[in-house]
Parts: sequence; C-alpha cells; structure tokens
Amino acid sequence: MVPRSGLPGGSAAVVAVILVLMPLVLPSSTMATEILIFAMASLACNLLLGYGGLLSFGQGIFFGSGAYLSSLVMMHAGAGLISALLTAIASGAVLATLVGALAIRRTGIYFVMMTLAFNQTAYFIAYTLSDWTGGDNGLLDVPRPPLALFGATLADLSGATAYYVFVAVLFLLVFIATVTVISSPFGSTLIGVRENEARACAVGYDARNFKIVAFALSGAVTALAGALYAMLLNFAPLENIQLSMSENIVVMTVIGGTGSLLGSLLGAGSWVIISDILAEVWPRWLILMGGALILIVLFLRGGLWGGVESLMQRFSHQNKGHQGPDDAPDEKDESV
Amino acid sequence: MLYLFQVLNGLGLGMIYFLISAGLTIIFGLLNFVNFAHGAFFMLGGYLCWSLTELTGNFWLSLLIGPPAVACLAWVAEAALIRRIYRLPHTFHILVTVGIALILQETTIMIWGPTGKNIPVPAGLQGVVTLWNFAYPTYRLFLIAFTSLIGLALWYLLEQTRFGGLVRAGSESAEMVSLLGTNIHRLFARTFALGVGLAGLAGVLSAPIRGVHPFMGPEVLGIAFVVVVIGGMGSFTGALLGGLLVGLVQSLMSTIWPEGANLMIYGAMAAVILLRPYGLFGRA
Amino acid sequence: MDRRTFLKTSLAATSLLMTPPLLRRVHAADPVTFYGLKSMSGAYAGYGEFAEKGSKLAVDDYGMLLGAKPLYVTIDTESNPGRTVRKVQEAVQQQNARLFGGCTLSSTALAVGKEINKAGGVFMTPAGADEITAAECNKATFRWTVPTYGAIQQTVRPLFESNPKAKRWYTITPQYVFGEALLTAAKNLFEELGIEHIGNSYHSTQEQEYSGYLTNAMAVNPDVLLILGFSGNGANCLRQAANFGMKSKMTILLAWTQGLDWFQSLGPDLLEGVYLGAQYWHQVDAPVNNALVKRVREVYGINPNYPLAGDYIITKIIFDAVARAGTTDGPAVIKVMEGMEYEGPTGAEKIRAADHQVIKDYYLLRGKAKSAMKDPDDLATVISSGKSFPEGDQILCKMS
Repeated sequence: MVPRSGLPGGSAAVVAVILVLMPLVLPSSTMATEILIFAMASLACNLLLGYGGLLSFGQGIFFGSGAYLSSLVMMHAGAGLISALLTAIASGAVLATLVGALAIRRTGIYFVMMTLAFNQTAYFIAYTLSDWTGGDNGLLDVPRPPLALFGATLADLSGATAYYVFVAVLFLLVFIATVTVISSPFGSTLIGVRENEARACAVGYDARNFKIVAFALSGAVTALAGALYAMLLNFAPLENIQLSMSENIVVMTVIGGTGSLLGSLLGAGSWVIISDILAEVWPRWLILMGGALILIVLFLRGGLWGGVESLMQRFSHQNKGHQGPDDAPDEKDESV
Repeated sequence: MLYLFQVLNGLGLGMIYFLISAGLTIIFGLLNFVNFAHGAFFMLGGYLCWSLTELTGNFWLSLLIGPPAVACLAWVAEAALIRRIYRLPHTFHILVTVGIALILQETTIMIWGPTGKNIPVPAGLQGVVTLWNFAYPTYRLFLIAFTSLIGLALWYLLEQTRFGGLVRAGSESAEMVSLLGTNIHRLFARTFALGVGLAGLAGVLSAPIRGVHPFMGPEVLGIAFVVVVIGGMGSFTGALLGGLLVGLVQSLMSTIWPEGANLMIYGAMAAVILLRPYGLFGRA
Repeated sequence: MDRRTFLKTSLAATSLLMTPPLLRRVHAADPVTFYGLKSMSGAYAGYGEFAEKGSKLAVDDYGMLLGAKPLYVTIDTESNPGRTVRKVQEAVQQQNARLFGGCTLSSTALAVGKEINKAGGVFMTPAGADEITAAECNKATFRWTVPTYGAIQQTVRPLFESNPKAKRWYTITPQYVFGEALLTAAKNLFEELGIEHIGNSYHSTQEQEYSGYLTNAMAVNPDVLLILGFSGNGANCLRQAANFGMKSKMTILLAWTQGLDWFQSLGPDLLEGVYLGAQYWHQVDAPVNNALVKRVREVYGINPNYPLAGDYIITKIIFDAVARAGTTDGPAVIKVMEGMEYEGPTGAEKIRAADHQVIKDYYLLRGKAKSAMKDPDDLATVISSGKSFPEGDQILCKMS
C-alpha cells in the first residue's frame, strides 16, 4: 500500500493544533518536550521504515552522536545554539550516509543485523572515548544557550515553557519538511523502490542512492533530536547511544504506525505517557508493554494511527454511505 | 604455555556460544523467523536449573528436566502466537519476540526476585585438572566434551534423519515440503521448540559458570547475533565455527590486548560482513 | 496538577482537554514531602526494591515534622538516566519538590544533583562515583557512600598488615571511570606499603567471561588477587576464580561489594574465606543500627542490607535537618547538614562541610564457612573497620 501523502497543509495544521494542546493537557511542558523529541526521532525512523522499507536498529548511533557532538561544540568551542544544532544535523547526516552505504549492500535480516552491529560498535567507541563523552558517567553540564542570531539574543530558553515552544517550532518545521520530501518525486521513488526494487531499477533509478539519501535525512533529523534531548536534560548519558535506544525508537515508530507521519507523534506520545503512568503504578509495568507489543502485531498492524484511520473511515462511511473500501493500512506485503 | 591455556579457554567458551547460537540459526534457517526472545529463554533455562537444583539438590536432574521444559513452553508459544506471524515482515517478528522477552524477564523477577542467584558446580566436577602451574576446572572440560556430543547429535539429527532432511528441505522451500505431504505446521513447531530448547540447554549448562540474573537475556542475545552473523544465518556449521572463532578471539585477546577484547569481536564481525556479506557459511 | 492526579484525570481525557492551566498550580503543600529516586524497574530493580523499603520505613517512623506527618513520593528512575532527569525537572516545576534522596546509578546521581542544585533543593545519594563529592560536587548534593580511596585504604591496608608476607598482588579491573579510580587508589597504596603489583587485567563492564583474565593472573602466581569489579562483574569474576581453584591457591579480596543482598545471591560456598569490602553490615553493633535491624525485621521480615540502610539514613538525615532548620528551604537545610554529626547505621557519622561527604566507617569482612553460620544471613565476620577519606589538598571539591 502506498502511504497517502494527503494534504501536507492539512496534516501540518493537525500537528500545530496538537503542539498547542500538549503542554495544556500534559502534567508538564518538560514531559511534552520529551515526547516531541522522541516523536522527531520516530519520524526519522518512519521515513526509513514506513517509506523506504528499511528497518534500522542503528538510530541510536545518530541520536547519541547528535547529543555528544552538539554538547561538545558548545562546551569546548563555545558554539551557540544554532551552530550546535547544525553540527548535530551535519554529523548525523554524515554518519548515516556511512552506515547506510555499508548496510544497504544487504537486504532483509542481514541489513537489520548490520545496523545492529554498527550500533554496538558506536557504543563501544563512545564508552572508550570517556575523556570526551564522560563514558559511563555521561557528559555533564551540557548548556542550553539562548536562541541568538548574529550576536543578537532572540529568546532565553532556560525556562521549561520557552524551551518547549522552541522544540515545538522545530518539530513543526521538521514535520513539514518531511511531508514535503515524501510527497516530492524523491518520496514516491523511494516508495517505488520499497515496493519493487527490481522494477525501480529497470526504470533507471539507482535504488542504492535513494536509500542512502533517505538514510542521510533520517540521520540528520535523529541527531537533531539527540541534540535537543541533551539540552533538555543538560546531560548526555551513555544510554543515548545504546542499542536499547534504537530499539525504543523502532518500537515507538511501529506502535504509532508506519503508514503516516502523524503516527510517529502518536507513537512517541503514547509510549512516554503510558510508561510514565504504568511505572508509577506497578514496578513490573514492562510486562504490560510487552503484552501491548504482541497485541499490536496481532490486531493493529497499522499501529495506533492505523486504528485511528480505520475508525475515521468507518465513521465517514456511515455518514456518506459506502464509497468502496479504501486501502486498509495494515497487512503490508513488503518485507524488510 | 599461557596461550595454550587461552586456547583451551576459548574452546570452552566457544562451545557455549555455539550452543546458544545453534538454536537461533536453526529457527532462522527453516522458519525465516528472527527470535529476539532467544536470550530470555536462555535465562529461563538457567532459572529452572537453579530451582530444580535447589529443590532436589541434583544438578543432573535439572539438566534432564530444564531444557525440555523450556522447549515445551516454546512449543506452546509457537502454537498460540508465533504460528500466526510467520508470514509477516521481520519487523513484526522482532516486535513480538521483544514483547515475549520483556514478559519473560519481568515474570522472572516476580517469581525469583530481582537479584541474581548462584548455582553450585555439580558434585564430582568441582575440582580442577592441574597441568604445570595452571589449573583448569573439571566442569569446563566436561562442558567441552558434553557440548561436542550435543553438537554431534544435532549434526546427526539434521543431516542423517528424516526430520533433519525435512528441516533442510524446508529452509530451501517450505511449499515444496508441504506439497510432499508433510505437515509443515508440525515441522515448524518442532523446529521452534528444538531451537529454543537448545537455548534452555545452554542456559542450564552455563548457570554454574555465570550464575543467573533476570537481565542476562539481552547480553546473551547480543553474542548470539554476533556468532550467527559471522557464521552465516541459518548455517549449523557456521554457528559452530562462528562460536569457536568468537570464543578464541575473546580468550586470546584477554592476554594480548585486554582493552580491545570486545572491540575485536565487533571488528571481526565487521570484517566478515565486508568480505563475506552472508557470513562464512551463509546463503544469500 | 501532580502526577497522581494526572493519572486519575487522564482516564477522563475529554474533561482533561478543558483543564485550564490555573488548576495545575500546586497549593503550597503543608506536609514536608520527600522524593525518593528509586530504580523500581529496569536493570537495577534489585537495588531499588530495598532502597524503597529503607526510605518508606524512615518516613513512616518519623513523627511530626514542621507540624504535620511527612509525606513520601516515589519517582521510578526506570534505571534510565534521561527519564530520571526529566521526572526530577517535572517534580521541581510542578510540585515544587525540593527534598530528594536515592539514585543507584552514578551517572543519574551526577546529573540529578546538578538539576536539584539549580532548583535550590537538597539531594543525598548512596551512588558510587567519586566525582559526586569531588570534581562535580555542588551545594545541593550530599553523599553517604565512602569513596574509592577509603574502600581501598580500609581493605588493602588491614589485609596486608595481617599478612605482610603476601607481597605479590594481581588486580582485575573493570575499565571505566569507577574501576580506574579504585585501581589508582590501589596502586598508590601498593607503593606506600611496598606491595609488588605484578599485573592487572582490564575488562569491560559488560564482561561475563573471566577465564582469560584469570588465566593471566594464574600465570604469574600472585599471593593476593584483588578484584575491583562489583555487582555482576564481581560475582562472575569470583565465581569463575573459584571454579579455577584459585581460592585455595591465593587470597582473594573484593574491595567494593554491595553487601548482604549480593552475598545472599552467591552463597557461603563461594564466599568462604574470601575478603570483602562493604559500606554497611547489619551485624555492626551501633545503637542506630541495632534499632534499625529490629525494626526492619518487624516490618519486612528481613535483615537490612546496604541499599536499605543507605536510603533509610539518607531520608532520616534530611528530615532531621529540616526539623532543625525549621523550614524546607534548600539553603537553610544545607546549612544545617554541613558539618552535621549524628548517630548512623555505622556508628558515629559526620557530614564534612568542605565536600558534602559523609565521614563513616568502611568494613573489611571475611566470608564464613557454612558450618560456622548462626543464621542464613550470618555470611561474614567483620575483620576490621575504620574511616579513611581524602584530606587537605586531596579534597578535590571546589564548592561554588
């Protein structure tokens, strides 16, 4: 099934409304910020998985290195906010190009294994370079500089709400950019490559290059999310670059649904909120999370967003009468 | 002399790695199914070993009962859940088995508590064999011998019996096997139980060396992946040689360059991936 | 709106949408509230379970504090530093939380301490990293645990003095900040005592297999094997050393152990004759400890261990300081705590003002034979105890 590109303006408006509502509804704007950061990472994972059909277990490499590098340029080179974020974006893109170029030489489970192996290698490198990364203790005292352009301070981000607004604006920009990319010829070719690589190649596209570019974009966005996370916490723990971070990003993406970019926001939001609530109620809450993963695969393969969509469809069908079934968001035939 | 002992260590270690990975690779070979819960079943084997040893005071009884019990659980899980998702993309295999792993891990904490347990080396194998001024634990020698026997038995099962023939044929083409009139569901279920049972067996056997801990699953899974990637997914021989290779590299490196022991394992894996992308014995 | 209210209200999502921000302001709560950072879930759940028992007991047994019964709120760290820091920020902003205690993981304790310092609160932790009261120290953060320097001084020195012929030592060290700190302290002391350091093997903290390192050690035939890994590292290293028959050939010392819960998971067969460093031991004869052991047996039916005793005393000290300061205001409480002397589970304890380090005893224990044990927890005897801390120039903390 081809993910519906929809109206880019439409889904962006939905996102904007959600962004305004989130801090009002959630217990704190800090939590809302965390959700947006993971939604951004999940969005980048979705670009690879939902649109490129590439299941990457190496997203933690980009998240972690984005956090480390942006922090290091601020702490050692006196970089400001914007240059730190740009450093993260650039480093994410470069690393992802490298990882992507090596990993996409294989398909299927070998591809997954390779991304996994690269993640382990990156972890050991970060662990070994403890003079720079703080190793096991993490990188402490990461600053959160004010938003400044050409020396003029535009906004102080030290308050939780101010920082939320900043992250929300960035999220909206990233979201619009991603929607634009997906609805561009590049996006439809990427989907074409996913659906049938042989045919896309026959038509004259170099599937490899498309996949590598998708990787670079995904890495850049993930690294941006990592940098924002370090600034949120004033701290970059080694856990950022662990395999479990990659696993969490994938899980959020699939729970949200890979058929739509809005799914990523939903997936990250529900993962953070539900785990927060459950952790307060029952120390063994991970059992429920494990059960939820299984139930999603059995009954809600399009993820939460897929569920929302089929509900909306049923609703609109009832109103307008039957207009013939739309393509269901579940049951994807492609394999990673 | 030191190196000779490190080779011996590496062999012992490698045989454990082989046992862990063999199950993973057999399941992948026939079912084209990625089991992220493999480490959790390994852990379960270890905990059953602890309980049975504690209850009966007899390690051998736990070796006899533990792995089949884990295999039975796997058989139930296959019938209830895994069977329904073979046809789905690998992403969903991973999600479901990550879910199973989480449930097993947390259930283990509920039953056995969050702190680890120690399993004594079985009586009779507690001593050491002394050579010059080095000592080597009798239990580890037993382990090398016993896993070699298991390896032989597995080889016989997979290469010389009808069941093995079906498994091998099935990994080439499942449809063909079912056209030949074999109940492919039963074959899949048995293979899954066999593979997971091997993880349970490895868990029981390594319990006296490593103890048990609720969070040991992911570590074991990581090593198994490395071995399988080096040896080649789905290849039995690959699991054996991959396991030995990783074991030897790790042991020798701990004398030559201890700081780099872990990095070298991943280095070896990266080299294999780049030179022989489908592993030493893998098929494309 | 606090987290618990959020939990209830989130069930009624629609009404939640209407909640105006005004409702979320907390009416400055009257009772003193203590926030316990406990690893209830995740890889350190084994520690958090006992730490939670300690804090709860301290809160429940505390009488009136500033005119009301004190309250206790658990924050599950999920053994995840990032999540913990965010939850602490949230508690500070939404619930005006100021009094915190706990944290197993050093990285989490370091980062959380900085957040609480910014918020003008108070934080006390039993975490292991020396940086907490050295390079990364701050006004808000206090530490109960004896640093690596003291752990080495109070184990290597008495062991060597009791057997001065054991001159050849081999070390096995986990390669990260904490392991390096232990190793450096050990090397300095070796030099002072004239001990010959005949070799060291590094391993990663993920290591499960020690046969290679143990073979290296056996090759040089040391008198003492000093194992610097703890928790799972220490357990597997000791277990495999015993497998290799090293217990009968040399003296084995683990300088840093978790104490009782860790001993229980290993059992007397492994521990017999092994020397063990510990922050706390339930058999120590001190008034506060005797009372604590009695209470913990009554309430939980177990003997207190290090996580339980540590978080118990942390919680109690902070309440005592609040009572003496007459306010929960951070700077006022800190002022009382600096230089505070009190009776703790290890006897007389004192908080050093210069670096916010608690000055307390560290123990050298020796594992007992099964036949000599009077009860299942009587796993070790205290060989020696004492206080050793970096002094003078060696205090690396620059309090700003």
